[in-house]
Amino acid sequence: MANDQTTTPVKAARSLPSASGTGLDFGGVLKDCLFWAAIGALLSTPILTQLTAENFDTLKLVDRWYWLPISAGAFFALRLLAILLYARGGSSGTRKTRAGSAAVSRSASMLFNSLGFIMLGAAVVLPFTPWANRYVMDVSILILTYVMLGWGLNIVVGLAGLLDLGYVAFYAVGAYSYALLGTTFGWSFWICLPLAGILAALWGLILGLPVLRLRGDYLAIVTLAFGEIIRVVLLNWVSFTNGPNGISNIPRPSFFGLEFKASGENSFHQFFGLTYSPLDRIIYLYYIILVLALVTNYVTIRLRRLPIGRAWEALREDEIACRSLGLNTTNTKLTAFAMGAMFGGFAGSFFATRQGFISPESFNFMESATILAIVVLGGLGSQLGVVIASVVMIGGIELLRQLDFLKAIFGPSFDPTQYRMLIFGLALVTVMVLRPRGIISGRVPSIALGKRQAISGDLVKEGHG
Amino acid sequence: MRPWEQDPILTVEHLTMRFGGLVAINDLSFAAARRQITALIGPNGAGKTTVFNCITGFYKPTEGMISLRHEGGAEPFLLERLDDFRIASRARVARTFQNIRLFSGMTVLENLLVAQHNVLMRASGFTVGGILGLPHFRHAEEEAVEFATGWLRKVGLLERADDAAGDLPYGAQRRLEIARAMCTRPVLLCLDEPAAGLNPRESLELNELLLSIRDSEDVALLLIEHDMGVVMGISDHIVVLDYGVKISDGTPDEVRADPHVIAAYLGVADEEVEAVEKEVHS
Repeated sequence: MANDQTTTPVKAARSLPSASGTGLDFGGVLKDCLFWAAIGALLSTPILTQLTAENFDTLKLVDRWYWLPISAGAFFALRLLAILLYARGGSSGTRKTRAGSAAVSRSASMLFNSLGFIMLGAAVVLPFTPWANRYVMDVSILILTYVMLGWGLNIVVGLAGLLDLGYVAFYAVGAYSYALLGTTFGWSFWICLPLAGILAALWGLILGLPVLRLRGDYLAIVTLAFGEIIRVVLLNWVSFTNGPNGISNIPRPSFFGLEFKASGENSFHQFFGLTYSPLDRIIYLYYIILVLALVTNYVTIRLRRLPIGRAWEALREDEIACRSLGLNTTNTKLTAFAMGAMFGGFAGSFFATRQGFISPESFNFMESATILAIVVLGGLGSQLGVVIASVVMIGGIELLRQLDFLKAIFGPSFDPTQYRMLIFGLALVTVMVLRPRGIISGRVPSIALGKRQAISGDLVKEGHG
Repeated sequence: MRPWEQDPILTVEHLTMRFGGLVAINDLSFAAARRQITALIGPNGAGKTTVFNCITGFYKPTEGMISLRHEGGAEPFLLERLDDFRIASRARVARTFQNIRLFSGMTVLENLLVAQHNVLMRASGFTVGGILGLPHFRHAEEEAVEFATGWLRKVGLLERADDAAGDLPYGAQRRLEIARAMCTRPVLLCLDEPAAGLNPRESLELNELLLSIRDSEDVALLLIEHDMGVVMGISDHIVVLDYGVKISDGTPDEVRADPHVIAAYLGVADEEVEAVEKEVHS
């Protein structure tokens, strides 16, 4: 995805001064080069290792795993070359070292930039690739929903530094807004979508007003309680929400009035003269959530460069200094809360229309925790980090479902799905030990006189409520 | 008549601040003149920072009145009744902190733009115009960057505009905090121990900076300082506090000669304590 928060891996930036000093620190350089080789291998896996070749009248995949060591080696060599060149150029003096590390941080941020665009390209063409079956599309839609939720929560937690443990409440408000408006009045998805966002934002304000004078742990606890209150109300207000039975037959979105159905007037495949495929509707949903997520991303990137976005980040850095500079911190927090809630509401109404059925069960604390984990794992404030973390966390869980081959090792009674959460938890702990500030730490400045250079994650604060 | 009695920008009257049973400031009154440097000095725990926090709204005083009058403004701002952020945005009082409070993860330039938040926010049509990318906002932002650049040049940090504020050396962080406060376009700048932790050369540079701000900007400076060198060298008016009570008030020369100040700062011989105490409390 087009990302704003790309950064230097801290390690890469740090190892350079040692390389450009009087002597080369071989251990550091080797580690750095290996890190790059790993990135190269990771990148080349989807691009270079698989080739579609003609097999009579069908296509088949040809494995070309030998490309993996080649690309990893190439990355290793290029990185080594870069370090040696800088070592020669900046033999003494701090200025040159700084210039050198800036150059490295630029090339690294270009790498992450291109990673974002590669992922965006892959996301756009995915439905037209041979892998696009029902299962893959469903998982992709799920991942994108979490990407969008992660981006929405990133405004609140990552930018404004307000720890919100009840984000799922706004997701629920959005979902029920559309479900109720759609089933009661028969309004279409496209009318209800903005309404759901506005309603969720409104609830964000209602919650925010009394709550945002709290800080830190207290704020987290109260938002957690709010999330539960919304769920319990949905569960018990049977006359309005149909309680635990949920709401079913939620209308599906139409494509400019064309519906996705097998027969009848005004159907999508008839209008375009295609044969009916149940996958069409799924692909349509996929593109809706892709566009919604990209809109979220775009708005967030724009907001970050406006005074309001800078105020959010300043709030995360130091609230007292903000007040001394005349910022109305209450309003600033409220806007962050409402903005995050609005995107949660959009995602919620999409969730309702995709499922066709919602019940309070879908909006429990686990959801809030998962979304928050995505934001924290990705790196607070990092847009690209959220994408990577969603793919890893949501896609990773799905991958773990496919571990049937382990039965061959542990015997037929072994059920890998039982161990999903265990393996998953271990993976999370590992990532947090290796990269405590998230996969992508640090931030890119919102404005610069000269070249924008990434700020190390060590300096960026997490906020305290 | 002295300048701070004629048309003072800030008048503190009968200010008292109690924290439970502790009286941090007791019936303090003083005034600060326009476009002059007023220093608030006193030994540790004298209540200087408490006075600052009352003026800038971080504490609500138990008793007393703090009024700030803009030049030509009819109604004074009663600071003890305003919220802290309104004191900064409306009454236009800016401050720095004893333990520097920069936005360390943001660049130097970003720090100065946050200081111009209210101006930029209005220019961006409260974000709506900014999202749409209206030229009016872009123009305002360019102006804000220009203003910030001007201040960076004055404090000698232009080269480091795109570095993280937390990456700057200590002395530079002090200067940046002053520049950030000045970017709010204040009429009164409160500096809480600006020279703390600076080496003699940096301290000298700071004096020059403060004097140039006084001479070239339309702003009054109120500063808390321990370093007597800084205070005596640049202040036009000094108020001395001890245990929350004002013990001296006047020009640097008057204060320097005041026996109460000498007693409070240097201490006196044991046999003189009673005599001095009697004098101080009389």
